[in-house]
Amino acid sequence: MLLAQQGAATVSTGEAVSFWVLGPLALAGALGMIFARNAVHSALFLVMTMLSLGCIYMVQQAPFLGFVQIIVYTGAIMMLFLFVLMLVGRDASDSVVEVLRGQRLWAGVLGVGLAVLITGAVARSLIDVTDQGLAADTANGGRGNVANIGQLIFSDYLFPFELTSALLITAAVGAMVLGYVNREQRGRRTQKELVEARFRGEHDRPSPLPGPGVFATANSVATPALLPDGSVAPESLSRLIESTTADKLAAERESVAGTGPAAGTRALAPGKEESR
Amino acid sequence: MSVMSSVLFLAQVQPVPSPAPAKIDPPALDAVWPILIVLAAACVGVLFEAFLPRHQRWPAQVALSLLALAGAGVALATYLSDAPEAGEMAMFNTLAVDRPALFLWGTLLALSVGAVLLIADRSVEPGGAFVATAAIRPGTVQDRAQVTATGMQTEVFPLTLFALGGMMIFCAANDLLTMFIALEVLSLPLYLMCGLARRRRLLSQEAAVKYFLLGAFASAFFLYGVALLYGYAGSVRLADISAAAAGTDRSDTLLFAGMGLLVVGLLFKASVGPFHTWTPDVYQGAPTPVTAFMAACTKVAAFGGILRVLQVAFESTQWEWRGVLWGVAIASMVIGAILGLTQTDVKRMIAYSSVAHAGFLLIGAIALTDRGLSGTLFYLLTYGFTTLAAFGVISLVRDSSGEATHLSQWAGLAKRSPLVAGVFTFLLLALAGIPLTSGFVGKFVVFEAAIDDGMAPLVVIALVASAVAAFFYLRVIVLMYFSEPAADGPTVTVPGAFTTAAITLGVLVTLLLGILPSFALDWAAGGAFAIR
Repeated sequence: MLLAQQGAATVSTGEAVSFWVLGPLALAGALGMIFARNAVHSALFLVMTMLSLGCIYMVQQAPFLGFVQIIVYTGAIMMLFLFVLMLVGRDASDSVVEVLRGQRLWAGVLGVGLAVLITGAVARSLIDVTDQGLAADTANGGRGNVANIGQLIFSDYLFPFELTSALLITAAVGAMVLGYVNREQRGRRTQKELVEARFRGEHDRPSPLPGPGVFATANSVATPALLPDGSVAPESLSRLIESTTADKLAAERESVAGTGPAAGTRALAPGKEESR
Repeated sequence: MSVMSSVLFLAQVQPVPSPAPAKIDPPALDAVWPILIVLAAACVGVLFEAFLPRHQRWPAQVALSLLALAGAGVALATYLSDAPEAGEMAMFNTLAVDRPALFLWGTLLALSVGAVLLIADRSVEPGGAFVATAAIRPGTVQDRAQVTATGMQTEVFPLTLFALGGMMIFCAANDLLTMFIALEVLSLPLYLMCGLARRRRLLSQEAAVKYFLLGAFASAFFLYGVALLYGYAGSVRLADISAAAAGTDRSDTLLFAGMGLLVVGLLFKASVGPFHTWTPDVYQGAPTPVTAFMAACTKVAAFGGILRVLQVAFESTQWEWRGVLWGVAIASMVIGAILGLTQTDVKRMIAYSSVAHAGFLLIGAIALTDRGLSGTLFYLLTYGFTTLAAFGVISLVRDSSGEATHLSQWAGLAKRSPLVAGVFTFLLLALAGIPLTSGFVGKFVVFEAAIDDGMAPLVVIALVASAVAAFFYLRVIVLMYFSEPAADGPTVTVPGAFTTAAITLGVLVTLLLGILPSFALDWAAGGAFAIR
């Protein structure tokens, strides 16, 4: 604003109003970015600052710069920033422990130095700057900077501009090469493929293994499942866990069927000799 | 009212009575067909990846790449037959197609044929030197399962072509902006290809990450230099920078700061002197065919860029910066020769040898005469073919875990395979610069040009450095011939047609340029850079 006032007396009301609306907004966004506790809010405040700056550029006769500011900074970079924040986790907070000795002191000194430099540059631009008259018809060859940039991109810089497409293709191919694993190469099959494979006989049996039996007395995985004829289904037992229940059951079945070892002649009580 | 006027104000940003823009004529393409063919073939290769079934990709990609190289070579030869002597500007002055550029294009295309043959080989390592699926993490169950899988990431072929296209543009770029984009176009595929080795994948990926990080750092240097030079000259065009440096009272700080940063970026790519730290690790970790491609072609492209920048943009200020580059050349030769002595790995040894060779090349590059230019171009040609064949031979000596690159494993190799040992001996002698090999002629012309330009002390240092470097080449030869082979030593694989062809090409060119160098020297001395 000051700059504009100093440069020429041609500041229109519209420009003044837009400056006084956008300037405080940009400043508020910048302050909000620093003081917001939530990282996402911080990023959104920065977006607000960028948007306001973009609009100010457009008011200042730099439409290309304004749109680039909005498209590149606000659109691309800040959205990438938000993605990263979301990936890292919104609640992740930085450690406030100083890793480098004297970091804060030096940060403060350098920050003040930077502020002095910027103030100096801005002050100089306020004292002696001449109006280039960008709004005039003769500025930029009379065609405005957007048309001029367009002409340069399609003439002098056509080749480098097109060459960047090779860069983009390489980047895309590289992302595919380093990131994409084909499903069959990963070695995992879908449920449907597994079912078909089972019925084709690639596995021992088409159905899953039977679960353990549940008796009134136990729900351990060592409890055997019973087949319809009352015998133990061997597949329901783990090969690793010793199943007392199954052994007991088998012994009882044998004694009932009378196929077990016969009692010795000296046994005091028949059948008791084998008990454990 | 105020808001309305603001909106109106925005609408008036572009003045209404704009004159009709000048009509832009399409650029003439006859000089740049080789580049366009290579880049178009790379794009077609990417489409092949998208649409061809997996088993057809390898034959299709190999055929496409070789056809593209042949086509580009034919286009180059056709253009060369009636090219203007002083060179011409193409693509709206962004490319300078002059004699040195055409010579470098021819060199790059011929070297790439050898490199593509090495990359395509599937007989030395079953399935090729590249991993079947790069996205599978090393060391996992799936990774162990894919060791036996035949098949490779055939994306390396289009990536190679993209890198080649970038290198060709880099040699011919007439402004720093084009040069920077070409630098990225040539680097990015190389970073990727370094990480795709089939064996020792962690080492390979580490090499890729190191190369990428350091390369990005060097690109930042380059870009900062370009920005400062733009600030100095108001243009990124090399000829404009030269004109601005020749006769102005502008502050030299911007010029020399910009030049320093720019040259650091360039020297990094050429793995010169103190900017070589990436070279041994990357040469060792990358798949050997990629190392061959990188060692041969990147060196050619990077020195093409260095020659053009120094001769076109900074010739008028040479007395200010020449001393610094003297120091860099000495550092490079000393580092390469001395650290090369201590290496126990063949690939690392060749890497340090390439650092020493970069120092010799830099001597030719700072002799800003026509003879310096033609000598450096010739040296690049000889060095590229010798290195390509050397890495081809290294890929043949293998044991159960892949390539046997440790020097102790090479002991007594001549008793196992006299032919391979003989070929490797010849290539090492060429790298050392023994007469009757191309390396001797290359060193001779470069040193001669340097002495002509008053750099005799530098040449003396270079001769001492080449004597030291010759020692570690001879050490390998002695090891191969006069040691007993270890009982469980490596075997020498009988290569298939592709690798045989690549090694034969390299060896034949090395021999031919050693015996009859005059025709290639004439080509290299065809003309100077076009300054416009």
